[in-house]
Amino acid sequence: MKFWLTIFSILFFYIQVKPQSNVNPNISLIGTFNTQTFLGKDVIDKGKLIFNSPELELFIDDYLNPYARGTVDISFEDGIFGVEELYVSIVRGLPLDIQIKAGKYLVGFGKLNQVHAHAWPFINRPLFHQIYFGSEGFNDIGFNFSFILPTESFYSSLDLGIFKGDAISKTEVADPDNSDMVNNWRGTNPIFVGRLVSFFTLSDYANIEVGLNASYGVHAKSENYIKPGFELGLADNTLNYFYGGLDFKYKYRPNQYTALTIQGGGLLNHRDALGIYTSTGFPPNILNQNSINTFGGYLYLDYAFKKQFSVGVKYDYTDGIIGDNPSFYSLSNDNQNHTQGISGWFGFYPVEHTLIFRLGVQHLSFTTKLGRIKKESETSITLKMIFSLGPHKAHPF
Amino acid sequence: MKKILTIILVLLSSLTFAKINVVTTTTIIYDLVKNIGKDEVNIVYLCRGNQDPHFLEVLPSYMLKLRKADLVFKVGLGLEKWLPQLIDGSRNTDIKEIDLSKEIQKLEVPTKRLNASYGDIHPYGNPHYYLAPNQVKIMLTEILDALISEDPDKADYFTKNYEKYVKKLDSKIIDWKNKMKTAESKPVVFFHASWIYFSTEFNLNIKGYVEPKPGIPPSPSHNAKTIRLVKKLGIKLIVMENYYDDSAPNQIAEITGVKVLKVPVGIWGMEGINSYFDMMDYIVNNITANI
Repeated sequence: MKFWLTIFSILFFYIQVKPQSNVNPNISLIGTFNTQTFLGKDVIDKGKLIFNSPELELFIDDYLNPYARGTVDISFEDGIFGVEELYVSIVRGLPLDIQIKAGKYLVGFGKLNQVHAHAWPFINRPLFHQIYFGSEGFNDIGFNFSFILPTESFYSSLDLGIFKGDAISKTEVADPDNSDMVNNWRGTNPIFVGRLVSFFTLSDYANIEVGLNASYGVHAKSENYIKPGFELGLADNTLNYFYGGLDFKYKYRPNQYTALTIQGGGLLNHRDALGIYTSTGFPPNILNQNSINTFGGYLYLDYAFKKQFSVGVKYDYTDGIIGDNPSFYSLSNDNQNHTQGISGWFGFYPVEHTLIFRLGVQHLSFTTKLGRIKKESETSITLKMIFSLGPHKAHPF
Repeated sequence: MKKILTIILVLLSSLTFAKINVVTTTTIIYDLVKNIGKDEVNIVYLCRGNQDPHFLEVLPSYMLKLRKADLVFKVGLGLEKWLPQLIDGSRNTDIKEIDLSKEIQKLEVPTKRLNASYGDIHPYGNPHYYLAPNQVKIMLTEILDALISEDPDKADYFTKNYEKYVKKLDSKIIDWKNKMKTAESKPVVFFHASWIYFSTEFNLNIKGYVEPKPGIPPSPSHNAKTIRLVKKLGIKLIVMENYYDDSAPNQIAEITGVKVLKVPVGIWGMEGINSYFDMMDYIVNNITANI
């Protein structure tokens, strides 16, 4: 009996495992470790070498069936595991060749936002990403519908999406005078995102992609602020935003060892913000809404040579002060102050992109209006090491 | 009534005489398909003749090429790792992938569990079989079958073109083999591990590679080893694809006097290389002249 049970167990195990091994998904792991030091008049721990905790991203990705793919990106940062991305893409089989992406993922607002940070040639996230989307970029939960446009001579696509809006509200934690809301109402007021992109082949060796982006929705809600001209109780207590964006990427690759990339992007932010606090006696804490326009953008140049090396430089500008605590008066709600950044880097890729060493310097300077404590400029020097284990697929152009 | 009849006739003629839309991953396959399909195929390629087919950037323009394709011909054996992403991006649900490696006598199929320490090893065997003319004959059969299967009405036309091309190829094989007799069993160093099928067919004696492992850039210590090898065996020739960086082979050449031969491994990979025959003529003639 024991003998047959063993045989049965072996056979059962074989039958279970054998087919599975043929359909195992792609599993990849990206590990990142960086060492930093900060310099500047007001910097805490000036010149001290900071060894940041290693970070990892675990990608699991493959076809679910002939029509759809599933992707999971689990991250480990600052000692916490999190789901960075988890989505399904229906890649074929739908009318009009639509592709649908559903779940949590990097939203197609701008070229750079869709690319994982480890695949950027530089170290520091563009400043305007940090101001308008938060430190993780525009990563949100929702649906995206992608259409290829019938432009025969060049590639063109239109993406339309509806999202929860977490990334937009991340920068405003709460009304300073009433710390309840923000995310409680998320879901009833989704945000909308659109992207129109065109790709042009300039020659056998040069290509350019140009994108137009837009996002619209409610970024905050409260009982405690009021639009000018409304009476309390009849007020439209929502704060709306509109992001308009433009981006481009140019790449000249004369051979497989050399590539020149010039990429840039910008965002125009038009939003309802909170104005000067008005004391009305009763009820108290009424805040006025007003509209503000702010801007942020970046431009970088990266030159990869001898297949193993790259150097580059990036310029950043954004309204708002990097490092400010989130509030209804700071970051994306700040049209009074701004930050500029200049950074440079040197990259070494010993064997393809399986191992990357990157040394970078970023200098930030801040311009503050009267009435605000002046923020001194600061410089950071970072040495970053990235390794890639497994078949993590190449990012498209 | 006349108008309707004309429209019906135009529609019918477009159905009857519709060409097969073909995309090929490499220019060599392009040349082979073109010679069988001739005017009955609309054909484009993805990887240029002077590009390394291992690493093609995923460009939206390639997705556009694949968008209306009926067939995509590929080398297979893991050479075109970028192809699934492009096909997904094209959103073409009807495209048929034709893997030309199906009937190839595969060489260098790994027998042990692979990991990245072995370099860029292809788990199903070496994919560079297109450099061996007798393997190309197998590719031609696959291409013929695929075209006939796509448009059975033109079977005679495709078969006639196939037979004509194979006849020419057979006579070229005799010619190349005769020429290569002078190189038989002579030791040679290659840059990348892509010449096993070629060497097997023409009895070349591969003694080493400039790359320490497939796809791994040459290192100073490995260069030193290669220099010792070249000196010891009196190797006269290093053969390399012309899209690779020649700085390491040139360093070896400076010290040992070995000749570095850069050859095209794709159609239009070099000026004057306009067909598979041109490419093989160039490779054979230059190896025999320098070995």
